[in-house]
Parts: sequence; structure tokens; C-alpha cells
Amino acid sequence: MKICVCVKQVPDIQAPFRVVDGQLVFDVERYVMNAYDASAVEGALQLVEAHGGEVDIVSIGPDSVTETIRKALAMGATRAYHIHHDDISGWDAFVTAEVLAAFFQGRTYDAIFTGKQSQDTDAGLTGTILAEKLQLPYVTNAVGLALEEGTLVVTRQGDVGQEVLELHLPGLVTISNDMNDPRIPTIKGIMQAKRKPVERLQLQDLGVEPEKLQPRTRVRGYEPVPPRPPGKKLAGEPQEVVRELVRLLREEAKVL
Amino acid sequence: MSMYLTYLTIHEGRIKRASLEVLSHTRQLAREQGQRVGAVILHPRASSFASELGAYGVEVLYVVEHPIFEHHLNAPVLAALEAVFQEAQPELITFASTEAIKDILGAFAERVGASALPDVAAVELKERVEALRPVMAARVLARTEALLKPVVVSVRAGAYDATEAETHTTPEVINIPFTFDASTLRATLREVIATATGRVDLSEAEIVVAAGRGVRDERGKRLIEELAEVLGAAIGASRAVTESGLFPPSLQVGQTGKVVSPALYIAVGISGAIQHVAGMANSKVIVAINRDPDAPIFDIATYGIVGDLYEILPLLIDELKKLKAQQT
Repeated sequence: MKICVCVKQVPDIQAPFRVVDGQLVFDVERYVMNAYDASAVEGALQLVEAHGGEVDIVSIGPDSVTETIRKALAMGATRAYHIHHDDISGWDAFVTAEVLAAFFQGRTYDAIFTGKQSQDTDAGLTGTILAEKLQLPYVTNAVGLALEEGTLVVTRQGDVGQEVLELHLPGLVTISNDMNDPRIPTIKGIMQAKRKPVERLQLQDLGVEPEKLQPRTRVRGYEPVPPRPPGKKLAGEPQEVVRELVRLLREEAKVL
Repeated sequence: MSMYLTYLTIHEGRIKRASLEVLSHTRQLAREQGQRVGAVILHPRASSFASELGAYGVEVLYVVEHPIFEHHLNAPVLAALEAVFQEAQPELITFASTEAIKDILGAFAERVGASALPDVAAVELKERVEALRPVMAARVLARTEALLKPVVVSVRAGAYDATEAETHTTPEVINIPFTFDASTLRATLREVIATATGRVDLSEAEIVVAAGRGVRDERGKRLIEELAEVLGAAIGASRAVTESGLFPPSLQVGQTGKVVSPALYIAVGISGAIQHVAGMANSKVIVAINRDPDAPIFDIATYGIVGDLYEILPLLIDELKKLKAQQT
């Protein structure tokens, strides 16, 4: 089967940053592959390793995205497409999905995978907007995948339990990081990745006119999370500490 | 006069509290703007909920009644919501941010040509609809505006209180005719594997007892269950203990699991990794019990106990049992 995984390069959410005049300022700019997308690559690789096929990668962004693309190739993907655009900072999920939809026009895949959300914005919109644009059936928040006689059996984490769905291909799946632990590329994988094909595409190549891309939402600025009032650390004999905790929960916090 | 519409999630035969919270806030926004207050329910017996919505000031209730809504499936939900949208022509549609809504929000916005503000902590009306969205694992808020009408917004549980309206209403019930040919489905539901989630629903609970990596074994798990039992609390878990299989994945709290904001969150053996904190930092009171005095959970805890949970929990359970005996 032929799977294409949409992969996004994102800031490292663990990296220290400050809010200055409504903007995020990172001490050191550090970019990584979106963790959910890494699980999507892993899920795709496991399927083709079991059933045969190829895994393609598509990513959008400036030159720096090459690093993330090479990582996906080093994990084992077959080839990659780099939709090159220098400034995607004002793009929202609708613009990203529009560009991806243009990319998928005229290309044939059995399945498209995306991460269930992006770890920087946590919006989780791009996958389902893309499915709607391409008129594909889809399953989100997948934690399990199996191929049974040409049908993708997808287990998703729902609100109260796990929902097992039969997805008739072609279809789109958004992947949870709870599905797997993405493999770490081996030295051999990294060496092989250097020789794998990466096709660079411009928006115009996809028939997209950059000036016509209209985001539907805009980030006006960033605001610090209101700090929590300072807490109390209770120290002493365990029995005393527990009594004090229960007293505070009753009399001070009034939650018991 | 236009309308603000709130989607109401039905869970185990009841309107989910998170939906009533969103409805209450949306009603307030609608009143300020002179908009009608609408609600929508997709459920086999949707119209049976009309009587309790007058207290929340609902003027119009759109119902789509079909057996297919017994379980969540995105294609029929999208088709039904589209039909309601065409009838109601709302400017703003609000949802409680559940897994079922995350499953359809983007596709629905695309289908009806709306802006989408997902998983927000607050929604306000300025010149445009504006939302505060926790981003970067909820370490910062992004003030995001919708550039295009209509706007769909999903709101985190606990962002607002569920409050009744000052003036009660008698909702006009509008039944949207809906036929759905299940044979056209290209994603079909094979089964739902319900996981034992304890007696109290995690996303609705007033008190949550959450287990982390420090809970190492069945004995630790039993202590967590016992503490939850005596408090009437729901059980939550960090990714470490859902991955190990000690607790089911539906109990995971965090950036990738459930976002909760109970009155009391007791974090037991949880270090406080940012991915976990992203799902519980808005809890009103946080108690942390951890062996490591430097665990980051203590930075956000209202009350912290440095100690071994295997020693602390039995004492705490005893103390709470005594308290309970006094109170009754």
C-alpha cells in the first residue's frame, strides 16, 4: 500500500521562552519534528513493513524543514516532497490544508496520515479539513492500525472508550502519540536518507497563488498564563502532615 | 435577528456539564449582542431534553433524531450539523471540546465555510470573535481572532460555570428531517471497547485522584482506587501509567489526553511533566504527593507533601474515613 504522511516542523515545546510585547521570544530557536507526526511516520512504516508498500513524506516550510524531512527518511520513508515557502508564520490550518489538498490533487495514495495535532498549537484541525477538501473518509486520534483484506481497521480513543472503525480506502487517519514509540533513526538509516529523493515544489507548481491564500484566523499576540498563587509545602511526621493536609482542605481551601 | 448556537453533547442519557457551561457563556454573549439563543442535539431521543433547557434560556432547540447517533461516527454528525446550520444560519456555534468534537470541528468548519477556534480557554466578542488558546503545551495563551464569519468555537471543560438564565424560556423545538443511508458510509463502526473508568466520569468530576509513575504496582493502584472511593472522586493518570497498562488510556490527563479542571486534583506520584500539567493546571486546588522534593509538580501545587505515597496514602485514606464518619 502507498501511504503519504504529512509532517510538520515545530518549535520544541520544552524550550525556554518569554513573552515580550505579545510575541514569543525563544532563548534558543530549536525545531523538531512534531511528535504526533513522528508517530504517524512510525505507524505508516509498520504497516508497509508488514504488508508491503511505500511511505512518502510531505512537508511545508523554509529550507530549515529539510532537517525534519531527512529525519523521516532516516526512519525509513521512501521519498519526500518539500513544499518550499519561506514564511508560513501567518498560516492557519485552513491555509495549510488548502496547500496540502493542492499537493494531493492528481496523486494517488491508499492512505494519508497526519499527526492528530501539532504540538505547538494543539489545534488539531488540519487533518480533518484536508479530509473534507479531498472528500475522503477519515478517522482521528488513532491509537491502533491493522490492514485486513484491503480495509484499514483503525482504533481511535474516543470520549468513553476505544472505537474500532473500518476505513475503506482511500482514507485519511490522524495519529495519536499513544499508538507507538517512534523509532530512533539508525546510522545506516541516516546514511541511506542522504541518497533518497526529495522533490522540492513551489506553491506555483501546485497551482496555488500565494497572494490568494487567506487565513481564517490570526494570532493577535501571546499572553502569559496567569500564575497560580504560591503553594504550601507540608513537612514533618507523615501522620501530622496528613492531618494538616485534611485540615487545610477543609478549612482553608474548603473543598472537602 | 441572528442566532448563536450551542451544540449539546449527550453522555449516558444526560446533557454533559461541559456543554451546559458553554451554553451558559454563549447565552450571555448572545444577550449582549441581541442574538437568539439556540441549541442543537443529535440523539435518538433528542427532543426529550427540551424541558430542561428552558432553565438555561434556550429559545430554539434544533433536534436531529436518528438511531445512528447512539454512537459517535463523524460522517452522519457532519451531515446532520450541516442540515441544522442551513436551517439556523448561526453566526457563532459553540461546542464543548470533547474527543467527538475534535473529530469533526475542522471538517465542519470547512464544510460550512467558517473560521475555527478549537479548544479555547476563553471566548470573547471584540470587533471580532476572539479566543484565548492555550498553546506550547499550555505554557502560554495565544489571543486568536476569527477573520471570517460564521465562527465555530470549542471550549475546554471548566472554562465557565454552568448557570441558569435569569428568565426561563420555553424552547421552540425544531425537528430537522434527517435520513442517512448507512450503506454509503466509508468509515464504519465495528465495535466500541468501553474501558472501566471508575464510577465517576473524569471530565465531569469535582475531585480527581491522579496516579503517576510513582504508582508502581497493583498495590499502589488499589490505594489510588481506595482514595478515589472515599472522596467520591474520578481517577486520572499520567501517560507513564497508561502506557505501562496499569491504568486504561481513557484516564490519561494531559496535552494528549483529557483536559480537566476539578475543584480538587490530587496528583500522586506525578512528577509534573509539562505534557501532563497542560491537562490539569487549571484545577482550583492541587495537592501533590511525591518523593522527589524537586519534582516540578510542587511548583503548581496548592499543598505539597514530600513523601512516599505508599506511606502517605494509607494515612490519608484513614484520616478521610474518620472525617466522613464525623460528617455523617
